[in-house]
Parts: sequence; structure tokens; C-alpha cells
Amino acid sequence: MRNALTIARKELSIYFTTPWAYVVFTLMLGISSFFFVAYLENFKQVQMMARAMSWARLPPDWGMYKNLTDGLVVPLWNVVMIVTLFVAPFLSMRLFAEEKRHKTFELLMTSPVRPMEIVVGKYLGGLGAITATLGLTIVFPAVLSIFGRSESGSALEWSTVLLGYGGLLLWGAACMAVGMFLSSLTESQMIAAFLTFAVLLPWMLLKGLAQSAEEPLRSIVNYLSFDSQLQNMAKGVLDLKSLVFFASVILLCVLLTQRAVEAQRWA
Amino acid sequence: MAMIEVKNLTKRYRDRIAIDGLNFSVGEGEILGFLGPNGAGKTTTMRILTGFLPASEGTAQIAGFDVFEHPMEVKRRLGYLPETPPLYLEMTVRSYLEFVARLKGIRGKGLDTEIARVSELTGVKLVLDRVIQNLSKGYRQRVGVAQALLNNPPVLILDEPTEGLDPTQRAEVRSLIRGLAGKHTVILSTHLLTEVTMTCEKVLIINQGKIVAFDEIKNLATAYGQTEQVSLEEIFIKLTAA
Repeated sequence: MRNALTIARKELSIYFTTPWAYVVFTLMLGISSFFFVAYLENFKQVQMMARAMSWARLPPDWGMYKNLTDGLVVPLWNVVMIVTLFVAPFLSMRLFAEEKRHKTFELLMTSPVRPMEIVVGKYLGGLGAITATLGLTIVFPAVLSIFGRSESGSALEWSTVLLGYGGLLLWGAACMAVGMFLSSLTESQMIAAFLTFAVLLPWMLLKGLAQSAEEPLRSIVNYLSFDSQLQNMAKGVLDLKSLVFFASVILLCVLLTQRAVEAQRWA
Repeated sequence: MAMIEVKNLTKRYRDRIAIDGLNFSVGEGEILGFLGPNGAGKTTTMRILTGFLPASEGTAQIAGFDVFEHPMEVKRRLGYLPETPPLYLEMTVRSYLEFVARLKGIRGKGLDTEIARVSELTGVKLVLDRVIQNLSKGYRQRVGVAQALLNNPPVLILDEPTEGLDPTQRAEVRSLIRGLAGKHTVILSTHLLTEVTMTCEKVLIINQGKIVAFDEIKNLATAYGQTEQVSLEEIFIKLTAA
């Protein structure tokens, strides 16, 4: 296990010495700030209208704008989720493809390290990078809780905010796991990134497909869709089934990567 | 006991046979020069010996351990410099050597001493804190050699260790390798025949995947040349011409 930590440390140090991580951080913060400001403006306008006319006369689905958590943070988490879908492949693509291209894979494979330790080390490194990226977005609820006011108690319902945030972290972790596996299949980082995106996007939107399917297929497809799993958590509902789902996806990808690395010895 | 024992080693890539039934052994403390034209199968053989590639047929043993059955035991006893030095260009030489040393199980106090030892041996002491990306080819090659020497492995497999070095550096690496004789078992591949005559007693020449000569240099000279003074170059050309 110490070998895995050694590799994870090396991965992190490379992430933070190359521009990639900073480009990803900038994208994540830039895009989510843009939406944060837009959503905040929207929220303020609805609040003003409500003050002028009372909530009863506004459309009923505007009820979510009654508090900052549902009216601002939940939609913002959805945006961060989409941005993660776009940036995670750029973080995961180099994990194995770069080692193969630069022939450093030969060093890892001829060092006294087990393939599983290499995979776990790489995954932990990638996990560190995506957690750092997502970690930046906690600044938005923090700002809201400092400057926001509410008639009843605290401005934010932290349990909902943090559960949604936990969902985001799980989503990021799953993206990195899928990306790592695809990166282990190719020497080209661009192909790895593209494949990751091509797998994650339809997988996330699987729910749309479920609408046209019949039972019991419908429930199965629905369960397998990232989107349906994440929507529950974003709304603050913690379901053990979601945790099992994410843990299974991550574990499966780690095992598949281990097989792909081990296959080198048999090729 | 032979440190490296290769029996009937064959590697096929689909229809193409890269190496064909190699048999040889290297005794403890010996330095073997591994020669052959480009594409003869030198790198493939070395990759199989290090466990990076599997053999299609035959076996290879390092220090009595089969490379396929006991890869961890073999890797613990092996220092390997691949054809392309496996360097992380973004790292400094020191952090790179620290990383490799940790992978080889060196931790704590021993780490700094070991890095000081190999960087002294390979002459990279002055560039320890520079980023590898900014180093010349010669220095990169030497960092590659330094990495292989970490943890003082009993068996060293060096794929063209003097590639890209200037004459002075080559002489330095040569004397470094000569200094390893007796304590380490070394397989050294190279294009430069003078290199072999200066560092090795024994040579293995392969051509198109097959062994064409495996003997001590002085025996080869008497077997293939009219005079004792025949150069290894002439023997090499004669053997690989077919």
C-alpha cells in the first residue's frame, strides 16, 4: 500500500507542476461563477416580485425560490455536475496513456510493485485532482452563508447543500474511474479523453432512454443512469442505493484497469 | 550458479518471429555484451528478461527465479535501463530518483545516502535540482542509468546505456560499467563495438532473432579471423551478413 501512496504522490505533484490542473481549475471556477451570478440575479428578481405580489400569485413551481438552498445551490450543483463531465476526462486522460507514450510505463512495470498498487496509486492521484477541482466550488455556498439572510434561521440548509456536494464528489470520483480505465487502453491522451466523454455523456443521460422503455427494463435503466442517482442527492435525499451504485462503478473500473495493466504481462 | 539463465526463449508477434529459441546463461559477476543489428531482437529479449513482456515459448530465470512465475522476486533483484530512459520530464532529478527509490523499497534515512551514491557514480550530482525536461540528452541518459543502479541490484540490464553520450561521457559510463564487474551481473546492449571490446569479456551476437555467436571475445577472434588482431567489427559484419 505504501507503493500506491508513493505513486499517488507522484501523480499529484505532476498534476500541479503542469498547467493542466490550473486550466481545469480556471474553467471550473469561471463557468460556475458565471452561472452563480446569473442564478443569483434570477433569485433576487423572483424574491422582489414575490414581495410586490405575494407568493400565491406567482407560478407554483417558483416555490423553489423561497430559499437559497433550493433556488440557488441545487441548480448550481447541476451546473457543476455538467462542467465536471467536461473537465474530468482532461484530468484522467494522462493517467496511463502518458506513461505509455513516454515509455515510463516500462519503469512502473519493471519495478517491484504489483499492478494493483499502480492502479490504486494512480486512482488516488486522480481522485486528489478532481477533489481539488470540486473543492473550489464550496466557495459559493460559503459566500451565500456569510452574506445571505433568511427570515427563519440560517440562510442555507447545510445538510442539503453538503449532501448535494457529496453527490458531486461521488460523480467526480466515478468520472475519474471510468477515465482511468479508458486511459489504460490507449497510448493517446486525446483518444482517452474523447472516449471517456463518449462513455460518460450517454451514461449520464440514460434516464432519457428509460422513458420509452417498459417495466422492468425501465427501472433498471433508470437505476443505472448517473443523472437519476445524482438528482436525488442534489435534492438532499440520501439513498443507500445511490452509494452502492457509485461504489460499484468505481470498483468495477478499478478492477478493469487492473486487468488491463496485468494484461501487459500476457500480451 | 548462473545469475541469468535463458532456455529456448522465443517471442512471436502474430506471424513475425522476433526471437527464436535463444539459449544462453550469464554467470554471477559477468558482463555480457549483447550485439546485433537493428531489429535483431535485442530489446525484445531484454524486455522479456525484465518481465515487461511475456515470452511465447521457453523460460528465463534471474537469480534462480522464473521471470514469469515469480515476477516480484525478479524485479526486486533487477535494475533496468530501457531503450528510452523512462523519465518524468516534469520532475527534478532528485524527486525522480526519490520516486524510483521508494518504488524499490528504499525509505527513510537510506534514501538520501542511496541517491547521493548513485548520483556520484553517474555524475549527475550537479543537476540534482534541475528539471529533467531542461537537461541535455547525455544527462537524461545518465539519470536513466542512475535510476537502474538504485538499491544496488545484483542484476543490471542496460539497453544501450551509452546512446547519445559524447566521447568523454561514454568513457565515463564505460568505466562505471567496468567497475560493476564482479559485484553485479550485467547485460549490456550496444551498437558500438568498441564499447564491447572495452567493457565485456563475453559477447552474444544475435541476428534475425537467432544466436550467431556466444563466446569470449578472444575466442571469437581466433575462430573467425585469420589473425589474433581481427576486430570485433569484422566478425560482426561477417556473422550478420547472412
